[in-house]
Amino acid sequence: MLLLLPILVPLIGGILVFQQKNDKRRDRLALALVLGTAVLALVVCLQPTTTVPLLTIHGQLRLELANDRLSRFFLVLFSCVWTPVLVFAQPYIRHAGRERSFLGFYTMTLGTLMGLALSANFVTLYMFFELMSLITVPLVLHSATNTSRRAGFKYLGFSVFGAGMALAGYFFLAYYLTVPDFIAGGTIDFAKAAQHQELLLVAYCMMIVGFGAKAGMMPMQSWLPSAHPVAPAPASAVLSGVITKGGVLAILRVTYYMYGPAFLRGTWPQYVLLTLALSTVFVGSMLAYREKQLKKRLAYSTVSQVSYILFGLFLLTPGGTVAALLQLVFHAIAKNALFLGAGAIIFATDLVRVDQLRGIGQRMPVTMTCFTLASLSIIGIPPMAGFVSKWYLLTAGLQAPLRGFGIAGLVILILSALLTAGYLLPIITNGFFPGADCQLQRQEVGPKMLWPQLFFALLGVVLGLLPGGILEWLIQAVPLLFV
Amino acid sequence: MGTYLLLFLVLFPMASAPLVYPMRNHGAGVRDWFVRLVPAVELTAAAALLVWPEARVSLPGVCGVGLSFTAGGLRTLLVLLAAILWQGSALASPSYFSHDPKCDRYYLYWLLTQGALMGVFLAGDLFTLFVFFEMMSFASYVWVAQNETREALRAAETYLAIAVIGGMVLLAGLLLLRDLLGTLTIGDLRTAVELVPPHRSGQLYVAGGLCLAGFGAKAGLFPLHIWLPKAHPVAPAPASALLSGILTKSGVFGALILCRELFWMDLTWNRVVLLLAVVTMVLGAVLAVFSVDLKRTLACSSMSQIGFIMVGAAMQGYLNGENALAAMGTVLHMMNHSLIKLVLFLSAGVIYLGTHSLDLNRIQGWGRDKPWLKAVFFCGAASIAGVPGFSGYVSKTLLHESIVEYIHILDHAGASSLVFRGVEWLFLISGGLTAAYMTKLFVSIFLAPAEQSHGEGHYMTRGTGWALTLAAAALVILGLTPNATMDAIALWSVSFLHGDPLAHGVHYFAWVNLKGACISLLIGALVYLLFIRNVLMRRENGRCVYLNRWPAKLDLEKGLYRPALNAASFIGALCARVLANVGDLIIFAGEWLLFTKAPYIFVPKQNNFAAYDRKPRRFLVGESFAFDLLVVCIGVLLILICVLLF
Repeated sequence: MLLLLPILVPLIGGILVFQQKNDKRRDRLALALVLGTAVLALVVCLQPTTTVPLLTIHGQLRLELANDRLSRFFLVLFSCVWTPVLVFAQPYIRHAGRERSFLGFYTMTLGTLMGLALSANFVTLYMFFELMSLITVPLVLHSATNTSRRAGFKYLGFSVFGAGMALAGYFFLAYYLTVPDFIAGGTIDFAKAAQHQELLLVAYCMMIVGFGAKAGMMPMQSWLPSAHPVAPAPASAVLSGVITKGGVLAILRVTYYMYGPAFLRGTWPQYVLLTLALSTVFVGSMLAYREKQLKKRLAYSTVSQVSYILFGLFLLTPGGTVAALLQLVFHAIAKNALFLGAGAIIFATDLVRVDQLRGIGQRMPVTMTCFTLASLSIIGIPPMAGFVSKWYLLTAGLQAPLRGFGIAGLVILILSALLTAGYLLPIITNGFFPGADCQLQRQEVGPKMLWPQLFFALLGVVLGLLPGGILEWLIQAVPLLFV
Repeated sequence: MGTYLLLFLVLFPMASAPLVYPMRNHGAGVRDWFVRLVPAVELTAAAALLVWPEARVSLPGVCGVGLSFTAGGLRTLLVLLAAILWQGSALASPSYFSHDPKCDRYYLYWLLTQGALMGVFLAGDLFTLFVFFEMMSFASYVWVAQNETREALRAAETYLAIAVIGGMVLLAGLLLLRDLLGTLTIGDLRTAVELVPPHRSGQLYVAGGLCLAGFGAKAGLFPLHIWLPKAHPVAPAPASALLSGILTKSGVFGALILCRELFWMDLTWNRVVLLLAVVTMVLGAVLAVFSVDLKRTLACSSMSQIGFIMVGAAMQGYLNGENALAAMGTVLHMMNHSLIKLVLFLSAGVIYLGTHSLDLNRIQGWGRDKPWLKAVFFCGAASIAGVPGFSGYVSKTLLHESIVEYIHILDHAGASSLVFRGVEWLFLISGGLTAAYMTKLFVSIFLAPAEQSHGEGHYMTRGTGWALTLAAAALVILGLTPNATMDAIALWSVSFLHGDPLAHGVHYFAWVNLKGACISLLIGALVYLLFIRNVLMRRENGRCVYLNRWPAKLDLEKGLYRPALNAASFIGALCARVLANVGDLIIFAGEWLLFTKAPYIFVPKQNNFAAYDRKPRRFLVGESFAFDLLVVCIGVLLILICVLLF
């Protein structure tokens, strides 16, 4: 039952956060809940792999939790990101107002994410996926303006519709599975599946495109640039850094734990999805390059960067998956730093457009230093973390059997890196080098908002220099998906 | 011990860089001592590297792939040069920056760049080289932008754009190369290349071409030279000396690796390199002749000299088997150019501090009564122009001789040598143009009558004076004892370039070799007297005025690159928007169908998605989308329960 704790603690604790009227106590409560959940998640990671059945709905249809390798990977990621962002969010949200609802939903979201990571079969995954979509909508709706309402519903519509597509795909698939649980390497019954291969592949496409909505994959990416700018900055940070990764997690489960790479390799859905991922990479970067609003620019950047991950996954090779998971971690870290930076800028100066940010480096030197480090990581400049993942991604692309896609990936990813440099570096250069006549007062945010940024920025540098630990773990764990 | 020394060379400047700020808090004097001390320690360490010529170290796992460093030969020479240049720049910096409140930032990135540059030169494989190459590019951006004037920011933008594009192109090239060869260790490349099957040689060319573009961008090779004439004039003088003297060499170093390890016998490759090199050499010299800005002239001159060096690189390929002269010429010209540019740019810094201008018309005659500076500048100018007795003459002669040698070989084999005779003449003419523009600078600054009295006395600090004097003395000493000093240096370092053994010693002061220099100097004199004095100068009220006659339209960046980039980004954005809206279009169509075809429902004009009835109903809580959703959910739940129970 230990597996239930990291889910229930924040979900139930979130309600307590709603009830708490005293600001200080609420902050402390939320922090304690999130930290406690993180600790519980780490404890779960250290436990031997177990499967916990919760409830049998009907026959083989049951809710089940398990802590397998992939679960552990995501548990650690989610818990490492959630706490620092909360520390940043508390002063920020006091400035934005309505902190009770924000902190409550923020805490509860962690529970659903933990559930998502711990799901042992599709039904459980689907349940937590929908829960996550629903609970994060209030985070987007937070400012309660017309734009945010519209964006919130767009987000909800896309997520629910996408998840619905995935569920529809599962209805077709379920009959052909040997067991409903997630098992590395896939559980498809080849004998049964042989006759209806096309049907299964169509179902696969539906499921991936459906879950891809959450990961910002085309054609359902457009909620991202609408939802991110209107949400409060800490919410955009986790939406972009973590929630999109929820979509990636679901795609991972479907691809590697239900269908299995052996079934999919060399089929048309692989080509279609690789094409979609690469187009998304290009489209996201290009639109970010033309975008003038900082947070929207970062949202487009997420669209593009998350599809780097998907490109690696759809290569269906161990190398590609290792690279994709590396990119997943490093992008989460860097993008959180960037959104927190954008949040700090809004908090201190109320500036939202890129062209207003001339001289921001003089006003907020520490924030902008973190922003710079994270930007370099996103672009992929050594020795930052993003460089390592991109190097592995491109190497994996070139080594994959699909030579054409490898080369196309190289061209598009390099092009995208150039565009990334084009949309991030001017912010930094204009910020730090506004011209000799520009004299601005220092307006830095407080330490509670600086530490989380420093944490993410420095983590990016350290992991870039010494990615050994993560890399070795992945190189050991990933081949198990290819049995 | 050698292992630690390599790591120390790379890490020490980087580790001491952040200490600039704490030092500043102890006072500007302490900081100034600190920035002199760090390069001095680094120089000592670089000299100690001579004791361990075979030092190597690898750091597996760092940056995901692992770094490795190696010393020896050309690497050690370049490391030493870099350390010397940094020391020279350090001696001149405190006086140059004495009135700049933002110089701490400069010093921070100045030291970071030194560490990165050491990493580039000591890299044992191309991955390591790339990692430090990128760090160096980004760190040195700050040098160019340091002054924050409009021109500086614009030049910095160009510099950064070229650095980023060059870096990414280089990355693509390296990935293709690694995919093809399976290794990036510089020592193993030759054997790996020999194993490449013929049907994949196309990939080798693509990879090599991409890498060359990346390295060429940093070296200032045509057509990616555009940043060079813009960035050098606006950077602070001690920084321009380094940018021009040694940072460009990192690009040359990479290009040399490509030429000598991947394509050492490939005719097509050599042809392309030679073509680019000759164009760079001539174009740089022509631009320099037309320029009326002291530092811009020197920057264009750098570009031209890089062309000379790359001619040497190409000739090594052509002369494979007997390329000793070409290899020695290449190495020595790299060394000479670094030292010469140190002298010239530091002198420019002194002049700028005295006059606050770099315009030849405004600094005319400033150096008339400053014999020391005049002598030092003369050494640099004469050396770069290839006057016998100065070091530049030796390396230019070697490069020239290598071309002549190849012409002999072609004649001997009965093949047409017309192209290489053309190359030889272009080489001599470029040398002549070098002499001409250096004469132009020297005459205007040190010989022309001064407009007004510039004030006597103290015009440079002791540190600057020492740096200038020592570097200039080195040029003369090297130039006067070519066989004893320069040959030794060259022979010691050419093994890196797989230089063949020298068949016989070169008699630098024999007429055969002096002839080339004489032709060059003669051309230079003619160009100066006939062209510069008549076309580029005009007499007004008894004074000479230098005219900028270079047509402003002939600017690759403004005329071609920026419009092309803008057009590409426009088209790209158009495609992206269309692609991105596919999903939205479907939804929009669905919305339109649902809202307009169903009766009693109107489509709201305003941006409120949730309201879809003209007159809001009041039922329990009031009309809202969420409430309706709730009702739907309850209904679905009821149905589910019914299904499950019965």
